[in-house]
Amino acid sequence: MGTADESGGTNANRAGESPAQVGRPETVTDETTVTEEGTELERSIGLAGGVSIGVGTMIGAGIFVFPGLAAGRAGPAAAGSFAIGAVIALLVALPASELATAMPKSGGGYYFVSRALGALPGAVVGISIWLGLVFATAFYLVGFGNYAAEMLQQAGIGTTVAGVGVVTPLALVFGVLLTLLNLVGTENAAKLQNYVVGLLLSILVAFLGYGGLDALGVFGAQTTPEAFAPFGVAPVFTTAALVFTSYLGFAQVATVAGDIKNPGRNLPLAMVGSVLVVGVLYVATIFVATSAMGSAALRDAGETAIVNVADQFLGTAGVVAILLAGLLATVSSANASILSTSRAVFAVSKDALVPAFASRVNLEYGTPHVALAMAGGPVLVLVALGETEVLAEVASFLHLVMYGLMCVALVAMRRNEPEWYDPDFRVPAYRVVAGLGALASFGLIAFMQPASQLIGVAVMLAAAGWYKYYASDVTLKGVL
Amino acid sequence: MSDTDTADDLAIREPPTVLVPVEVLEGESISESLAAFLAPARVVVLGYHVLPEQTPTEQASMQFEDRAREAVADLAAVFEGAGGGVETRVAFTHDREQTVERVASEVGATAVLLPNPVGAVSDVLVPFRGAIDRDRLADLVATLLAEGDGTVTLWGIEREGFDAAGTVEHARESLRERGLDAARIASETSAAESPIHDIAVRSADFDVIVMGEGEESLWAALLGDDPERVAENAVAPVLVVREREDGA
Repeated sequence: MGTADESGGTNANRAGESPAQVGRPETVTDETTVTEEGTELERSIGLAGGVSIGVGTMIGAGIFVFPGLAAGRAGPAAAGSFAIGAVIALLVALPASELATAMPKSGGGYYFVSRALGALPGAVVGISIWLGLVFATAFYLVGFGNYAAEMLQQAGIGTTVAGVGVVTPLALVFGVLLTLLNLVGTENAAKLQNYVVGLLLSILVAFLGYGGLDALGVFGAQTTPEAFAPFGVAPVFTTAALVFTSYLGFAQVATVAGDIKNPGRNLPLAMVGSVLVVGVLYVATIFVATSAMGSAALRDAGETAIVNVADQFLGTAGVVAILLAGLLATVSSANASILSTSRAVFAVSKDALVPAFASRVNLEYGTPHVALAMAGGPVLVLVALGETEVLAEVASFLHLVMYGLMCVALVAMRRNEPEWYDPDFRVPAYRVVAGLGALASFGLIAFMQPASQLIGVAVMLAAAGWYKYYASDVTLKGVL
Repeated sequence: MSDTDTADDLAIREPPTVLVPVEVLEGESISESLAAFLAPARVVVLGYHVLPEQTPTEQASMQFEDRAREAVADLAAVFEGAGGGVETRVAFTHDREQTVERVASEVGATAVLLPNPVGAVSDVLVPFRGAIDRDRLADLVATLLAEGDGTVTLWGIEREGFDAAGTVEHARESLRERGLDAARIASETSAAESPIHDIAVRSADFDVIVMGEGEESLWAALLGDDPERVAENAVAPVLVVREREDGA
């Protein structure tokens, strides 16, 4: 069963390695997966943990990096861009949920695509999602650098040392720190992440609550009257393509599907729930921010515009609270993305699409050191380049390709359901949802800057080339 | 329910099952003498390996499963050599407590072992600080001591709202009902300034401690529950008698 060999090939890569199999789907219970030899793999992440991975990954970008960029492009209608993003994310989150409950394995989107559509699309998605996550991580780290620099400025230290800006060095230092932290393994990192996300949400809800009431005139302050969409409708969509990076986190929940307790219930709830939570927060943030300052001022404030908004409302105390929240948020997003990258590398390595060496676990620390290095290393290079907008868009591009293909994968699965396909959650009207999800995902790509599109396509071609060179005999379609 | 090999009213009510969790890849092991002591009970060895959150269990199992299974097979051989049957389970987890609790519940464990190094095993200390499932305790101790000439010391530790003397007396009766010779049961009660510490200190004079799970409290959440804290400080292994689950 496990050695389906439709292509007549050897099902091995250039190094002679074949896809490894860990646990068949019928051995998945609410609490464990059981391997062929009878070893139990405990599922230890609950619903709260799942939501916190989703929200923790997403929230860093949408609120703390994008308001300035987005408002500068689309005006107050940027709120609409975020809403469009949320709807698209939901259209993809539903099919992803169904696939994840049918195949609750580490690897997420890559796993679904490779099993439903075959090894070539799988390899393209798997390798490009690795790089996509690298781009996203770099983007979050640059965001972190901006907040750290702003914090230094507030403390009166200044943001240049010997005439050189501190943003990039700070981002680099933190990138190295996070990678090391994950390498030597902190046992309670996940719990810490839960608290960080909880604290963040509290600060944000308080801030947005106050700001929202103020914007509606409750406190009698002057609001800035402005046209809703000063640049027309098209920028609303192009901006949606840009800010879609802030919704990339929900798919990260699927990459830890193998460790989620009661996956049939918790996976769909965590994915859909985290999209809804951050979607509402994003739209509220843009609404409050543009009401408070006007989009031109936001644009001029750039990546830390939300800090100026806080200043407007609450003075220095607000600034310090938001800066702190910004630091926490960008760090949590970067950290979650590094972890997801490592899992993405594991998933393709397990299937022999890249050398098995990449999924080695360090004996002393019990951590996947090679995969973590394959995450952290390229991130540092990208951070050093420092092109925030392009980074974000390329990350979006690569994720959108995966999202689109996930929707296609759902349709492929449903049309010809294999015997083992038994999801606990089924998307209602799946043709419509998955069809719209795929259309929207591929459609957003069209609105991106040519540079991002070019880099994205180059990454995908390189991934396909690698597959042809290294692993063209590996078969994955329908192999569990 | 009752085993009928022994005299009617001197019978074990429910043959005890002991879960023995061992962190196999960290080199933890069980001595032959302890294995021999536990052999009269049904023994389930759970070889587990705890992973940091950033390592998927699948990934670790690909690399370490064979080694873990070998180590567990070696452990099983120790128990078989000591004359007992043994079942084995192997698990990779991010959360030791969750895994031990799940497997204990699945196999219907009477008690869970917290290992500590120990030489020859014969004398048992049972400290009482609060409610404990008396039948399970008696079944366990009477079964383990049935062969050989080891003794059990029932030690009631006084505190407000807890009838130490009465609890010890009841436990003594239950052990007698299961056929344990009165001469091998000692009972005493005393006050203790810091019970956990005092139990740990006394463990030097005994070979195994048998105790209840202890109450849940903020304290326990922060520092670990009573048996865990005893096991950390004691020189003897601890058998924790589990509360019966509802409907089990």
